[in-house]
Parts: sequence; structure tokens; C-alpha cells
Amino acid sequence: MKKVDTMHVQTTHTTTYLYSDSVSICHTEVHLAPRECPHQRLISHELRISPEPAFTTSRRDYFGNEITIFSIQEAHETLSITAHSEIELLPEEPPAGGLTPPWEEVVEAVRGTKTEELFRAAEFSYPSPFVKPSPACEAYGRESFTKGRPILEAGLDLCHRIFRDFKYDPRATTISTPVEEVLEKRSGVCQDFAHLMITCVRSLGLPARYISGYLRSNEKTLGGEASHAWCSIYCPEFGWLEFDPTNDVMPNCNHVTIAHGRDYSDVAPVRGVALGGGEQIVNVAVQVLPPAATASGSTSRAD
Amino acid sequence: MSAPVSEPESRLNAAWAYQPRAGFYDEMLTAKGEIRPHWQALVDALNHIGPSGLAERWQEGRRVIHDNGVTYNVYGDPQSTERPWPLDPLPFQIEKTEWAAIESAISQRALLLNYILKDLYGPQKLLKEGRIPAELILGHPGFLRPCAGVSPPGDIWLHSYSADIARSPDGNWWVLADRTQAPSGSGYALENRLVSLRVLPDVFRAGNVQRLAPFFQAYKDTLRALAPKRENPRIVLLTPGPFNETWFEHAFLARYLGFTLVEGDDLTVRNNNVYLKTLGGLLPVDVIVRRQDDNFCDPLELRGDSMLGVPGLVQAVWSGNVAVANALGSGLVESSGLAAFLPALSKHVLGEDLRMPNIATWWCGHEAARLQVEERLAHLVIKPATPAHSFEPIFGARLGPKQRELLIRKIRSNPGAYVAQEQVSLSTVPVARDGQLEARHLVLRVFAVASGAAYAVMPGGLTRITSSLDSLVVSMQHGGGSKDTWVLADAPEPPFSLLRRASGPLPVSRATFDLPSRVADNLFWLGRYLERFETAVRAVRVVLPRLYLDPDASTERQLTACRNILAGGGWVKAAEGERLTEAEVLSAITDSTVRTSLRASAKEIRRVARLLRDRISTDAWRVLKQLDKQFTGELPPEALRNSWAQELLDNSMISLAAFSGLATENMTRGHGWRFLDMGRRLERAVQTVQLIRRGLDFESEPTDAELSNILEIADSTLTYRSRYLNSMQMDLVLDLLLLDEGNPRSAAFQLSKLRKHVDRLPESHPPSGTPREARLALKLLTSVQLAETEELVKLSYLDELTAKMEEDLGLLSDTISRVYFTHQLRSQARL
Repeated sequence: MKKVDTMHVQTTHTTTYLYSDSVSICHTEVHLAPRECPHQRLISHELRISPEPAFTTSRRDYFGNEITIFSIQEAHETLSITAHSEIELLPEEPPAGGLTPPWEEVVEAVRGTKTEELFRAAEFSYPSPFVKPSPACEAYGRESFTKGRPILEAGLDLCHRIFRDFKYDPRATTISTPVEEVLEKRSGVCQDFAHLMITCVRSLGLPARYISGYLRSNEKTLGGEASHAWCSIYCPEFGWLEFDPTNDVMPNCNHVTIAHGRDYSDVAPVRGVALGGGEQIVNVAVQVLPPAATASGSTSRAD
Repeated sequence: MSAPVSEPESRLNAAWAYQPRAGFYDEMLTAKGEIRPHWQALVDALNHIGPSGLAERWQEGRRVIHDNGVTYNVYGDPQSTERPWPLDPLPFQIEKTEWAAIESAISQRALLLNYILKDLYGPQKLLKEGRIPAELILGHPGFLRPCAGVSPPGDIWLHSYSADIARSPDGNWWVLADRTQAPSGSGYALENRLVSLRVLPDVFRAGNVQRLAPFFQAYKDTLRALAPKRENPRIVLLTPGPFNETWFEHAFLARYLGFTLVEGDDLTVRNNNVYLKTLGGLLPVDVIVRRQDDNFCDPLELRGDSMLGVPGLVQAVWSGNVAVANALGSGLVESSGLAAFLPALSKHVLGEDLRMPNIATWWCGHEAARLQVEERLAHLVIKPATPAHSFEPIFGARLGPKQRELLIRKIRSNPGAYVAQEQVSLSTVPVARDGQLEARHLVLRVFAVASGAAYAVMPGGLTRITSSLDSLVVSMQHGGGSKDTWVLADAPEPPFSLLRRASGPLPVSRATFDLPSRVADNLFWLGRYLERFETAVRAVRVVLPRLYLDPDASTERQLTACRNILAGGGWVKAAEGERLTEAEVLSAITDSTVRTSLRASAKEIRRVARLLRDRISTDAWRVLKQLDKQFTGELPPEALRNSWAQELLDNSMISLAAFSGLATENMTRGHGWRFLDMGRRLERAVQTVQLIRRGLDFESEPTDAELSNILEIADSTLTYRSRYLNSMQMDLVLDLLLLDEGNPRSAAFQLSKLRKHVDRLPESHPPSGTPREARLALKLLTSVQLAETEELVKLSYLDELTAKMEEDLGLLSDTISRVYFTHQLRSQARL
């Protein structure tokens, strides 16, 4: 695998809640600190919360992502959470598709769970809250995962088909729209496409992860200016191969990983429970910039 | 039973007609029809008392169940979810050496499951070594990843555990299922014991039956030890609420063990500590005994859609500031799939065989096992491997060839979701039915609690029986029943009570229970409902005889006043000008479709009282149940209705007086009593004021009849007559009802009491000055103290005074509600 030049990016992710009534206490959990992975290094990370929380703590979650939990115990009508991070991306050229083993071999290897790595990977082959394997998803997946096909080739094909067959439409779905419905409607957003691809490959017995992160947007990509989501499939010796079905690419130097898990429910960037509050309006803004550079693109659609 | 009898005295009398079915192990009779020795004492007693004697004694048992309100809830029954607890009078008998074997097997199993939990939420060696298939655990929705890595105090995950066991035809016991989430039934077992003690006290004493109390003491000791830093830790019992299947048990155990019964909303997490929201402020909680599923316990880190949980609880557990029993995540090992691997795990982990085998179980996720299952399907029961795939057990024997084929195909499509189990021919036991004994199948639920490094097993348990001999499913939801379980000892057991033992001297405590705001709210409204009900009873009781007076002008005016009073309270319809009829008044009593009828109100009172089961005494609860019951009968023939109604109303007054007496004499003067009494005082003041406003015609001078109406309904006739004899004078009547602080029925008396209560409430912390509720209470009291008796004859003055009082009383009630009972809505968000 050929190394490409490293690249620095700065990310700013702001989430603002505006409440119609005062909130007397809130408990919030955030997954906002980009994790260390083979292709990225975290240089700095800072979380700013307003109003100042009475209590804050951080720990690693089950999947090794950093979570921060805080509570605000004074009455407030707005809550704003801003995460600033600086990341070094270490892009790697993806392997040639033909070099990877047939996908059925991967299914077998994972089922055997002979090594710690295979055992850990197997965890991502089971159903999870947002990923319920189904005959329909299996059938859709099998069109790409034909007999004996190298896993990377099959993955790229599935990624491409989702990009081609599905319409990017933020109004078509909500967080709780099931994958089955996305498959039927043929439209959704990056979360839906990631969940769909994961469901298809898990239906075949392969391990697949959900990745939440940011996208450095340009004219050709979707999903910037908001948090982004894609997925990865495990292959022994090659590790986790990443696919972004929203943009029909294998993430390389434009994707910043925050966290990975079985699905969205494991890594939601911000989740909270507030007492009171009435109606709420939520604003999310994401910026991904090279250091000391100007805005990098404008055509991306909110995700 | 026609075989020649060699020792007639040791046989069961033929009158009982007991015929167990061949092919099953009968607990009482051997295959030859002989009495097993440990049943002899019970059989002798049955022979002695005979069917009619048992029926008589059982009357007492049913009364205890009814009076104690022992119930369970049936889901999906729109009529009434609450059912009386089904108990059979004859206790299941177990001999002590056999019991010793069960006891050791159950404590071994609890120890093993606890070890497995510790591994699964820690290093997961059992998974990595392939001793438990990873899919069964890592694909299980009960594996709570946010709890992985937590080490609960003493490495105890299972503080309580129960197993369902059954006996096969060869006489051996088998474990059918494990309960590790929030095992239920120990409270019902205890309640069953209380009943059987009343029904068969003589047999109980003679049999040296082992006591249950030490088991609960061991549980209490274990829970206390979870908060070693505190001398008198605060332990709460977390319930999903009154609609849960076993709500009665939650309230019962909370009372028995002395824990505060709470719902998720009663708790809050601040600075990583859990607090109980009480009237007096936030009180730290050390231990939460949870009776709700773990994934519902924290909407922040566990199921986000849970409305029952405590946001932030998982993090508080991580920090070690609170202990949860059973530990969050322990529902994971409550899985039929895991049972298939327990025999091997026992050898590996404990180095010994399981002392009681599982029922043979195959997990279909292993191909070899699945092939066996497909072959033997006709003899097996198919069940979900984990609670993730919930469906009713499928009995292979009952399927036709086509259905069997379909099932096999379903299993093949997702083999890991299914387990197959051998079908046990459950043993039988006699139950009393219509003066005879009939055989039913039984499953015994055995309970264990952590005690030091081992587990203590309750000597006894909850015996559950099938609804018929043909049924193989034991379930309260499906019409099954229960029995007390007697473990017979050689020597008499010393008596034991939870109150007797304490490991060290306890500090004096004047506050017996912490009062959550939700409970204060319910007590306040119970007080108001009771008082409103009492006024209604008094009003109807006064009005009823007036209906039969000869019609003349003054009677007509009196009846109009009566109609205004009843209509104002919502007890009859307001229809101008029409004479009040008997039918209307009767419908105010019995019509359950009228929201405010006495019958509907009595039901409502019982409903609110039920929410307070852990707060009001059993005697007080009985009184309120009795009150409700009085109104449920059918109407008698027309000619008898008047006297029937009078008697019903008189009896209700006695019940109400009994409740007030119990509250006055027996309730500790804490905030609980204060809110109940505030509710009563406030409502009585409201009712008195409204009675005057409705009972008098403000257009013209009140008549004697109108004045005597309100005097009588306000129960002040005797006082008035003792002072003024028979002469009705408006100002004197109104003085007695409104201004006289010495008359316990007057508005002034209530307002003076209310003011004292309000002054003693925990401070409501206004930004400055006197709290609003205190100002309102003072204003109300002052308004009657400053009123002039002579002015009361002026209708406009009276109108103004009473209207203002009515308004201020409403404001006072609202203010108390807002300050003390506010339940804020929770909003949840994920991005």
C-alpha cells in the first residue's frame, strides 16, 4: 500500500439547542472527539459547553471511542456545544480489489473466531438496534456479492449501486426510519445509506461497522456542513475496508473519523435528556478546513 | 381408590376422590397409591377436617387475600387489570433432605451465573475460548455495552436469583429456566405463607415448617453491605409503576423490607450521585433495588425511549456512588440459549458438575445441535434463544408434518435465534376443587440471595400450578394458580421477625419513610377525594327522606335547594323547576357511568389508595376496599330501595369514620400525614363554602328548611340545637358553619388547621418574603376571623365573602400543587 502525503485539517462542530421553555436540568452524552485510527492522528481537541456544566466526565466506551458526559443543573433556554479538533490524516491507497479474498472465506474465518481480532470483528456481524438483517436486504446485497467474488470488489460494487439506485433526500427519512423502508423508498441520507449497506453485508454474515465523522466537502461530495456517516467491512489481513455509499468512494483523505460502532445508536454525536424545555429547535454546523485556509467548498448538502 | 386398604388411618379418605394420572410423578401418592411419609401429617389433617371443614377454613384464607389486596395484573385486559391472587389452600410439602439437595443446586447455579456475568462484562474469556458462542452474548440485546467494565461492589452482579424447577416421572428435579433480571415472586411466596398460616395453623406448627424471614434478613444484610460507607444507607425499591404485572409485590416488599418505593421520576442524578426527590429536598440514595428491566433504567445511556428510567444512572454506577441490585446488565444470562452450555461451564468454572441438571437444551446456532433438533422435533419444545426473539413456546408434538417443515425452514434461516428443549412431564400435586382433590402439574420457583461469598436459598418458594391437567404451561397470565411451599424440618424453628435483629445498635430515627413528591401528591388528593365523598354521602342522606314529604310550598322550596346542592356537586343533573325524583337520587349513588356518582368516587378513592399501598396500613386499605365493595352490588327491588340506600349510606359513613380514626390514631405525624390532612381540610372548607352558596337562595331570605338542610349536611345540627334550641336564625347558622373556630365542621376550623400545616411544610424557597401558599392560608383565615357575624344576614356580604373564599381556596390548592408536586415533562433528543 502506497503512502500518500499527510494532511492537516481543523474541524469545528457546533450544536445549539433553543428551547421554548426553560430547562431545569439536562444530562448529555457526546461522541465528539475524533478517535485515533491507523489513518488519522488527533493533534488537539477541545469541547466548549455553554452554559458551563456543573459536572463533566469522560471515559472510553465499549468500542474505544471517547465519550463525554455532562450535566447542566441551572435553568437555561439555550445550550451550545462546540467541538474544535485538529487532525492529521495519513491517507493510504486502498488495495487492489482483486487481491482480497472471496467474501465467503471472510464469513468462514469470522465464524471461527480463532484469534482475538476475528473475535472482535465477529461482534459486528450480529444484528443491532438499527441493523436488522432481512431477506430483502440480503437479496439486494447478493447482486453484488456474487459467488467467489473478492470482498473488496463486491463491496465497491454494492457501494456504487447504492449511490446509483438511491436518491439523496433529507426530507425522505428521519433518524427512526427503518432500513427496510429506505430500501423500498430508494431515498435517504448518509446515515440511511450506511445502515443499508451494513444491513446488506451483515445479512450475508460479514462484519460491518458504522462510522460517524466529517467530510471535507468539495463540488463533488455530499454530506459536509453536517456530521457525516459511512461504513466499513472487515477483511482479515487487510483490516477494515471503508466505503462511503453516499459519495461512492472509499474514504481516503477527505474523511475524518470521530467514532465507530455497530450502528448510529452506539455513536450518536450528541444525545441528551432534558427536564422541561417544551419545544426545541436544534442547529448543527460543521466546518472542516485545512489549517489557515478558507472555506473549502460550498455544494454539500446538510445531512 | 378401591384397592383394599391395609392401614386405613394412613390413607386419604375416599371422599376427597383424588385420582392422579398415570405416567406422572405424583408428589403426594406413590405409584402404588400410598401416601408419601412427608405428606402424612397434611393428609391426616384433611381426613380430620373433611371437605366441609377445609371449605370453612378456606373462607378465612380467601378473606385474607381479599382484605390484604393481594393481586397481580393481567396485561391486555381492558376491563380490570387487577386480579385477586390465585392460591390453593393445600401447601406443597417437601421433605428436608430432598430440600437440602435443591438448596445446594440452586446456590451453585447462582454462583455460576454470577461468575459468568462477571466474565462477560469483563475480560470475556469464556467467549474468546469458545465456551459460550459469541453470537449468544454479543448479539443479545440484553448485553448492555455501557455497563461493560463496571465492577459492582464485591463483584456481585446477581443479588437475587430465582430458578423454575420441575420434577420428571423418575422423581428427579430439573431446572427449566433462570431468572436473573429482576426475579419476581418472593413477595407472593411470603404472602402465601401468611395465608396458609391462617388456614392450617395446627398442621403448620406440627410440621416444623422452616421460616422465610431469615431469607429476607439475609437479602437486607447484603443490600446494606453495598453501601459500606454509610451506617444507615438509604435503599429504594424502583418499580415501573402500578401497571406492572407484579406491582402488588413491589409495594408489599418495600413495606416488609422497610425500603422506600420509588418510580424513575422520583430519582434524579446530580453531580454523579443519585438522589430521591422528597418534599424536604434531595436525599442521597445508596442502593437501588430494581424491579424493572435494566435496559429501561437510564434513557441517556441505555434505551433512549424509556420513560421509566433515571437519566445519568449508568455514569453514577460507573463512579461507584450508587449500587444497583441486580446489577445493570444482569438480565443477559436469563437466556434459554445459555442453558445449553451451563453443564460444561460448571465443570470449567467451578470444577464440578451441575448439582441439578438443566432440562436438555440444544442451541440451534451450532449445526450439529440443529440437525439433532430437526430429527427429534416431535419430542421437543422450541423457544427463543434470547429475549431478542420473543415468541410463545412451540410444542413440536402438536405440529403436523407441514407445520414442522415450515418451522424447520424458519429455524434454518436464523438458527441462532432458536433453542430446543426436551419436554418434561411435570409432576402432579393435589389441589382443592369443589370439595374434592384434583391433580395439577407444578413448577417450583426457588429464590436465592447473595450472602457473603455464597448464596442463601429461601426454604420454600413459589409453587405454581397449571390451570388444568392438560395444560403444560405454568403462567399466572394464563390462568394458573399458586401454592405455599413447606419445607419440613425435624425440630421446631425459633420464631423470627425482621424487626428483631439488627447487627449493631441503630441510631434513633424519627422519620420512618422519606416522602417522594409523587406520594405527597397522591396523599393530598386521597384526602380531598375522601372529604368530597363524605359530603356527597351526607348530602344524599339528608335529601333522600325529604323526597317522601307531602308536597306543599315549603317542601317544594326545600327540594329545589336540595337539587341545587346535589346538582352543584355534580351528583344529579341540574334541571330547573323539576321536582327531584327518587331515581335521580339513586343514580347519584349507584350509576357507575356518572363520573361523580358515589359508586364511581368510591372506585376512584380505591384507585388512589392503591397507588399508596406502601404508605397506608393494611387496616386502612381494607376499610377503603370495603367502602368500594359496598357500592358494587345490584339494585334491590323498587319497594326496598329507599331503606337499602339509607343503610348503604349509613355504612359508608362508618367506613369513612373508620378510615379517619385509623389515620388520626395510627399515622406518624410526618409530611405524609400532613398532606393527607391538608387535602381533607382544604376540601372540607371548599365543601362547606359551596354548600352555603348552593343551599341558600341568594335572591330572597333563606327559609328554615334551607337553613336546616345545610346545618344537617354539614353535620352541625346537634351543636346548633344545643346552643340555640330549635329556633333557626340565619346569622347564627352561618356563624356556626363559617366563623366558629370551635366547630370542627366549620370553615374557620379547617382554615386554622390548614394554616398550621402550611407553616410546617418544608420551605418552598421563594426568592424573597413569605411563600405564596403561606400568604394565601393566612389571608383565608383572616377573612373569617375578621368577618362580622351580624353582617352575615346581608346576602350581598355573604355572597362576596364566600365567593372570595372559594376563589382563594382554589388558588391555595393550585399553589401547593405547583410548589410541591410539579412533575416536569422530560424531553429527549439525539443528534
